[in-house]
Amino acid sequence: MLARVANNLFWMGRYIERSEHIARYMNVNYFSSLDAPNQVSQNRQFVLRSMLFMVGAPEQDPNKILKEEDVLFKIGLDPNFEFSILNNVKQARENANSARDLISTELYEAINKFYHFVLKYPKEIFVKSGLYDFTINVSEMSAILRGKIRGTLLHDSIYAIILMGVNIERATQVTRMINTKYNDALLTQGNHDIMFSKSAEWATLLKCAESYDMMRRFYKKTPTSISTLEFLILNPNCPRSVMNALNQVYKNVKILNPEKRYNKNSTAFLIGRVRAEYQYKYIEEIEQDIKSFIENILKSLDDISNKINEEFFNY
Amino acid sequence: MTNIKNQIFSSYQKNSDLYDEIYDSEGKIKPVYKKLFDIYGGHSIQDYVNLNSKAKSSFFNQGITFQVYGEDNVQEKIFPFDLFPRIIDSDEWEIIEKGSIQRSKALNLFLWDIYHEKNILRENIVPLDLITSSANYLDQMNGVNPPGGIYNHISGIDIIKHKDGKYYVLEDNIRCPSGVSYVICNRTALKRALFGVFNHYKTHTVTNYAENLLDLLESVKPKGVDVPNCVVITPGMFNSAFYEHSYLAKTMGVELVEGRDLFVENDFVYMKTIKGPEKVDVIYRRIDDIFLDPLEFRPDSALGVPGLFAAYKKGNVTLANAPGTGVADDKAVYTYMPEIIKYYLGEEPILNNVHTYHCSRPSELEYVLENIKDLVIKPVDEAGGYGISIGDRLTQKEIEQVRKQIKEHPRKYVAQPIMSLSVHPTYIDKSESFEQRHVDLRTFTILGKDKEFVLKGGLTRVALEKGNLIVNSSQGGGSKDTWVLKKQ
Repeated sequence: MLARVANNLFWMGRYIERSEHIARYMNVNYFSSLDAPNQVSQNRQFVLRSMLFMVGAPEQDPNKILKEEDVLFKIGLDPNFEFSILNNVKQARENANSARDLISTELYEAINKFYHFVLKYPKEIFVKSGLYDFTINVSEMSAILRGKIRGTLLHDSIYAIILMGVNIERATQVTRMINTKYNDALLTQGNHDIMFSKSAEWATLLKCAESYDMMRRFYKKTPTSISTLEFLILNPNCPRSVMNALNQVYKNVKILNPEKRYNKNSTAFLIGRVRAEYQYKYIEEIEQDIKSFIENILKSLDDISNKINEEFFNY
Repeated sequence: MTNIKNQIFSSYQKNSDLYDEIYDSEGKIKPVYKKLFDIYGGHSIQDYVNLNSKAKSSFFNQGITFQVYGEDNVQEKIFPFDLFPRIIDSDEWEIIEKGSIQRSKALNLFLWDIYHEKNILRENIVPLDLITSSANYLDQMNGVNPPGGIYNHISGIDIIKHKDGKYYVLEDNIRCPSGVSYVICNRTALKRALFGVFNHYKTHTVTNYAENLLDLLESVKPKGVDVPNCVVITPGMFNSAFYEHSYLAKTMGVELVEGRDLFVENDFVYMKTIKGPEKVDVIYRRIDDIFLDPLEFRPDSALGVPGLFAAYKKGNVTLANAPGTGVADDKAVYTYMPEIIKYYLGEEPILNNVHTYHCSRPSELEYVLENIKDLVIKPVDEAGGYGISIGDRLTQKEIEQVRKQIKEHPRKYVAQPIMSLSVHPTYIDKSESFEQRHVDLRTFTILGKDKEFVLKGGLTRVALEKGNLIVNSSQGGGSKDTWVLKKQ
């Protein structure tokens, strides 16, 4: 496979995954805030700021009153905002375009349909009444894409590269959500005797990662900070956990590099090392300093992405 | 239920001056179209409007689009596709197929000759200055032996049916003829929209093009290569034919590369993969000669690969089509095709040529200048329907202008009688009904080492503007699925 095209496929995977997480984050936060148990969480400004924080464009001015329609438009459909869902899907398609000969017709058609859906979605309807419809469709279409990736591609190096992109992005986005909700939980604590560890934000976080139901089944208790973080970071069986994503990345890098003993400068070695670190971590360690822990994960994921770039895309 | 039989064709207006492909001279439906006519006639116009929009969205979702650059945004458009297919029966097809192969073979021998012994020029059957003055003649190709002895691996021949019911060749395209992917997409779209109609006809498949193309590319591998590594090279995803390039690469299962993915070392060509450099043996190139290699041709080309031509001359890599083939699809060389076929093959041409006047010959120039209104004036070295003037559509002032242009550069122009392209019922969005529109046919011929193949189908292009004779997609043309019927 051409190095240039491999790079494009890696990013196709990342952009597909990214658009889904942003869409779900908007959806869950907006709708769960409508009847949230405390006033801070119910506050529209609070929700809008949380959304902007999540997409990497936090509002710096604490006194500015945000307009709901503007924020929704910016994150959803603004062609001039780099991280909007529209631009993510556009990038995903553009990357798919350049690798059109390598991916299946079915996958390409699904991406293309997705793009036209987002592109044609009427702005007025979206900001006034279409938030639910739009974000649910984005989530579902990305699920279809994952199905097409899994079900119509040869499980070879092309597949491995796409899935590495998907999983690195998933771990990154889940970590970003944790970070955002961690901040939200800090902001809401102390209001009406809300305790940080029992904040409603944890349930919202789990829903943002589509993991709420399974978390309830696993712990059979109301989510707390510690159980939520454990589930979303360390539980290898939770398909949205950082651990699970790292396992997937490790599995796929082995397709690209099937050696038994890895050179210490290889991507496979680095991924194995990061993965081993989280495999033998316990949540109490993390809880002591969540902030630096989050920074560490994001840095490790970045390092892996850079290493992949250096080893496979740079000839 | 009201009788909706043939609601669709009830308003179809037949102009008796035109050759309508579905009606015979007495105004009756030709037998081969009878079934199709009945099936389509069984639909109401509303059904048809729905089907048409479904077919359109099928193209859209498949991403078979081209881009139009507007003032502040880029719009994606689909190539217009007509749901009423064109049928060519097996007897007629045999003529087209044999004629296409004959032309391709003759052109190949001609190219070998003019880049080697130049016998045909020395015997003055084709004038020497016609070749040396051609913008597409490449001095660098003199004495170069292309692997397998093939120059025009892929030829697209544009054929029309004239008023007399006979086929005529309008031009040969042997540089980078495009359009074959539309043949296949048109079939897919028609199947999606109206699969039922296929039950009544035994139609040849068109999806075997890619396997034949790959066979061809492998047949012309460089000497000493066992299993050749073939690739398709594209100018990139912003090229209007990018869909076709990616389609062909995908269906052949080979890499689609850009110039920047390749490099040349010690006169061998390599591509940059995730596992390091990999040698490339055969390149199906979809970039023009002058962009192939900045060291040899245009130095500012960012699309090509430095050193590629040197590797080619050494015989280490095959380029399909070979560089320098454009000299033979020059519209002035076209006029010598009957002589070229006779000279190399000792055969009479199977497909007719349209009579052509050379403005470079003083006697013919005089005739052309005096009869512009009855002629089509074509520049010899342009493709895509650009620069063509149709005499009876020009105002007096425009005629004067054309006359002036010809006088200034007589070598640049040829003239032909205005041929009347046959017409075919075509669904027109605006009027929501079927109307007569002019059509032509592009066939795709593959020539390899001990291999020849003509795709049983071809691209029927339709001029969607009423009365328009230029069918090129760059001039607002559409296309139709084209059925070649199996022998009964």
